[in-house]
Amino acid sequence: MKKGKGMKFVGDSRIPADKQKFIPKDYSEYPGRTEAFWPNFLLKEWLVGAVFLVGFLCLTVAHPAPLEKLADPTDTAYLPLPDWYFLFLYQLLKYKFASGAFFVLGAIIIPGLAFGALFLAPFLDRGEERRPHKRPVTTSLMLLGFIAVFWLTYEAAAHVDWEAKAENNKPELPSSVEIDTSHPGYAAYENSCLQCHGGELEGGPAAPTLIGVEYGVDEIKDIAVNGIGQMPADQFQGTEEELQQLAEFIVSVNEQE
Amino acid sequence: MSEKKQQVSRRQFLNYTLTGVGGFMAASMLAPMVRFAIDPVLTASTAGEMQAVVDVSEITTDPQRFDWTVEQVDAWYTSDVTHSAWVYKNENDEIVPLSPTCTHLGCSVSWAGNEDYPDQFYCPCHDGRYQKDGTNVADTPPPAPLALYEYEVRDGTLYLGQPVPRGGV
Amino acid sequence: MLQRMYDWIDERVDITPLWRDIADHEVPEHVNPAHHFSAFVYCFGGLTFFVTVIQVLSGMFLTMYYVPDIENAWRSVYYLQTEVAHGQIVRGMHHWGASVVIVMLFLHTLRVFFQGAYKKPRELNWMVGVLIFFVMLALGLTGYLLPWDNKAYFATVVTLQIAEGVPLIGEMAKTLLNGDPSIVGAQTLARFFAIHVFFLPAALFVLMGIHFIMIRKQGISGPL
Repeated sequence: MKKGKGMKFVGDSRIPADKQKFIPKDYSEYPGRTEAFWPNFLLKEWLVGAVFLVGFLCLTVAHPAPLEKLADPTDTAYLPLPDWYFLFLYQLLKYKFASGAFFVLGAIIIPGLAFGALFLAPFLDRGEERRPHKRPVTTSLMLLGFIAVFWLTYEAAAHVDWEAKAENNKPELPSSVEIDTSHPGYAAYENSCLQCHGGELEGGPAAPTLIGVEYGVDEIKDIAVNGIGQMPADQFQGTEEELQQLAEFIVSVNEQE
Repeated sequence: MSEKKQQVSRRQFLNYTLTGVGGFMAASMLAPMVRFAIDPVLTASTAGEMQAVVDVSEITTDPQRFDWTVEQVDAWYTSDVTHSAWVYKNENDEIVPLSPTCTHLGCSVSWAGNEDYPDQFYCPCHDGRYQKDGTNVADTPPPAPLALYEYEVRDGTLYLGQPVPRGGV
Repeated sequence: MLQRMYDWIDERVDITPLWRDIADHEVPEHVNPAHHFSAFVYCFGGLTFFVTVIQVLSGMFLTMYYVPDIENAWRSVYYLQTEVAHGQIVRGMHHWGASVVIVMLFLHTLRVFFQGAYKKPRELNWMVGVLIFFVMLALGLTGYLLPWDNKAYFATVVTLQIAEGVPLIGEMAKTLLNGDPSIVGAQTLARFFAIHVFFLPAALFVLMGIHFIMIRKQGISGPL
């Protein structure tokens, strides 16, 4: 490029005023059948991209993104699992050599070494040779790592009943029913039923919700004493009057809907 | 020469295809997202039902303010909001339920809100005034009369719906 | 008309060299799937970028409805998914895109690794790439807390416990992420939202910029 005095600029900017026509590079100087990025190669890339996008959109339409129940810190039956790409770490921490007293080994040192080695790969594998079979140590370490991650992920996922898990955690809008704790039957509910049916009649791992039941007062009294389905008998403890109040309380909550 | 011409047309063809494929990708990616974003515009407004406001016998010939509360569902947030109206009976014994929202910039007007104008609605924000029937007083800021609520009387109770704006003069 | 507008701008800011460099660079035969089908392995990097674009776009649109607040986060996600037109699809794109981007990144990493493309002079670009991988994993981790459903809550509790287990700085790191020494709640969600939506994407864009500039400077690695 020309330098110094005599150069003409656009206004007082540093943009040269007498522009040379931009000449694209000559293809013939490159060895092999090269082609320009725009438009030749980009078109091929975009065709791949378009096919990929169609497949991706089909996936999103066919499988709606899962959403589970609103977070409930008291849900003791819930089996927490991370996303699949963290399952291998999750599984690693299950093993004796990586948990308990060796927690630091499993959670920090092993993953730290693996990812550290990955990060510093260019400095650990310094040879000139690029072909995988000419650098057996590097290649086998990577294959080993890959197999380990794959196997750990498989081990973590194979023992989970994903369908049941999704079924138990379907999203549902929290009920708008208000629990009148001053109702005379609430005390009886608290004593006999709350343990399983939950503080807001929402149900729990051991018992269904009591919101939306269609029983009348007498039927509820009968169920409280004699049980139904999975529910054992004699769950209710108290006087006949309390039993009456309890049944009226449950019916009154259901009438709000 | 002809060879060069062909070169250009090939390049152009590639450019058009490129634009086409790019457009297809952008469109199929953005179509759901844009529809998602503009959904509120396309959703039919859920005009609320008529709400019971007051017993008809309480309505006098002087405008009185009545408040009522409705449950407002704002997407995932449900709340109780209070609406109010100035209601009176005119000479023909018809009920006139006026919206208290000033047509100028949306402040709330009140009947006889200014001592100097005891027979008018007054808006404190910019001294807007309205006649008893809601007509805006000329030479005050409001451009249009106060809106009138849709109303109906059932079993001696006044029910109000949505305020219907009246055009400017 | 367009040509004259372009010339007007070009005279002032000299933009031609910027895009000409990208448009006219030569793509060698060994990475071109049209010549050698096996060259499709070179597509993984580009596809990763493509999915990242999808993630950025769908994420931007999702924040139109989402609120990062423990009272309303789940409700707003439920609402946008069930009530808003195409909400299911837009959230689906973001959800599945998060998985697909990890898969693509993984395949791209394996391609570069087994071809030894990280060797001199491309050591720096490899390291930037691994950093991008970490940022992506962190984006996934912070992202799945946001809907505030059971999975979000419990998986995050576990993550924070792992952070706590780090010697010396564990407690501090946990509190820093959590926003509170013990409660996983309102502050955690707000923090994760900020990290997921502002801090990590900023880091990601910078790293991707460096990654791409280095590729343009060095050119793609030669055939094996």
